[in-house]
Amino acid sequence: MVNLEELKSEAKRILKEGKVKYIIGYARDTNGLLPKPVFIKKEEEADKLIWDPTCVYNLTRFIADEKRKMAREKKPDQRPVGLVIKGCDSRALVVLLQEKFINRGDVHLIGVSCENTGVIDERKLQKKLKGKKVEKIEFGEKENFIITTPEGKIEIPASEILAERCLECKANFPVVSDVLFGEKSKRKAESPFKSLEKIESLSAEERWAFWKAELDKCIRCYACRSVCPMCYCDECVVDTINFAVTADTTAEEKAQKIKWLEKSPVASENFIYHMVRAIHLAGRCIDCGECERVCPLDIPLRFLNKYLEKQAKELFGYEPGFDPEQPSLVASFKDEDPQDFIR
Amino acid sequence: MAEEFEPTIVAFLCKWCSSAGSDLAGVSRMEYPPNVVPITVMCSGSVSPLYIFSAFNRGADGVLISGCHPGDCHYIKGNYYARRRIALVKKLLEYIGLEPERFRMSWVSAAEGTKYTQIIKDFVKEIKPLGPQKKLRRNQ
Repeated sequence: MVNLEELKSEAKRILKEGKVKYIIGYARDTNGLLPKPVFIKKEEEADKLIWDPTCVYNLTRFIADEKRKMAREKKPDQRPVGLVIKGCDSRALVVLLQEKFINRGDVHLIGVSCENTGVIDERKLQKKLKGKKVEKIEFGEKENFIITTPEGKIEIPASEILAERCLECKANFPVVSDVLFGEKSKRKAESPFKSLEKIESLSAEERWAFWKAELDKCIRCYACRSVCPMCYCDECVVDTINFAVTADTTAEEKAQKIKWLEKSPVASENFIYHMVRAIHLAGRCIDCGECERVCPLDIPLRFLNKYLEKQAKELFGYEPGFDPEQPSLVASFKDEDPQDFIR
Repeated sequence: MAEEFEPTIVAFLCKWCSSAGSDLAGVSRMEYPPNVVPITVMCSGSVSPLYIFSAFNRGADGVLISGCHPGDCHYIKGNYYARRRIALVKKLLEYIGLEPERFRMSWVSAAEGTKYTQIIKDFVKEIKPLGPQKKLRRNQ
């Protein structure tokens, strides 16, 4: 089990010794069940840190922001950033390492194990408890969660309220870490691509109808892009806001700037946006499921990324997020790659 | 009488093999359907998936990617990268629900003018019964 007191004292120790400039972790929020990410700079603040099944966020996202922040500073603090990291976050970090976006020395990883379970899906929990107020959720001993409500403690098997992605998790412990709290043990998961069967069993026209209905809803708020630890490009194909228009920019230069797709949220443009995002995440997406969680319109974005993850595995035997030394999917090839589709 | 549907095919041809192959077909006066819009790219490996999506978005009824045979790439391994990437794009397009016939990839060398004409003929023949591609097309 993760001993929270040990975690806190470790956090205090590294802050006191000045090993890290700050620690990114989870803390109880004043409102709602889900915690908030915190940036702890002082030793005494480390008591805020928590680790429980409500810690759903992928904190690796903040590492990309940190890199950008450092690039703007005149004399950036070169010390590493402490990061409380769970299984899926650590796989995201491995991809960042693999792409040499960050160096291993830029981060100090405080690994926490998901205790053979994972994190909760808030909606599943509300449904299960029929709207009862939840005060606290803890990891149980036997792949269950212990939930404290005003009426007393309830034990629920983890599989009933786990987030969808956790049901298909490949490693619910950090694959890289400097210190690890909890065990490196894995919950027996169902087949990793089971949820896809629902869509794959449909005919082409039904699939089209499904995706058309889903992507038609998209309002292009780009929450999926903002929350994704892999979407760290300085300039995204969907918006050209980084294209500096100055007094010297000629009309021709502006005209030459390629506009790949319209910003208006109509189905055809949404398709291009989501397909480009899926392709850009092929072999990089580690299925943290954050895009789907933040989507205000409940578009099942995981099914897009998950499908390409499955194809990468089946066609090329590629699995992202485990080996920082492995060349990335589309930047490598094998002689025996399938080419039966080429005529 | 309604006119017969003539598909528009956008073909991304690599400069060193497929483009030369289509050129050979031209200078040899081989006959093939005029439905294809050839775009010469430096290598099949330089075709971004976005080009493909964008072509469909702007109203292409079919997209063809063509490059050198494996081992013949001018840049040694560009077509190997393409093979991987295009395989994923093809899978994704099928997953979304686009007809698989609308997107294809082929290897055409500079000497294969006949193969090029045959590919275009087959492609046009397969797409015609499907009618215009409206799924990804931008509504003007």
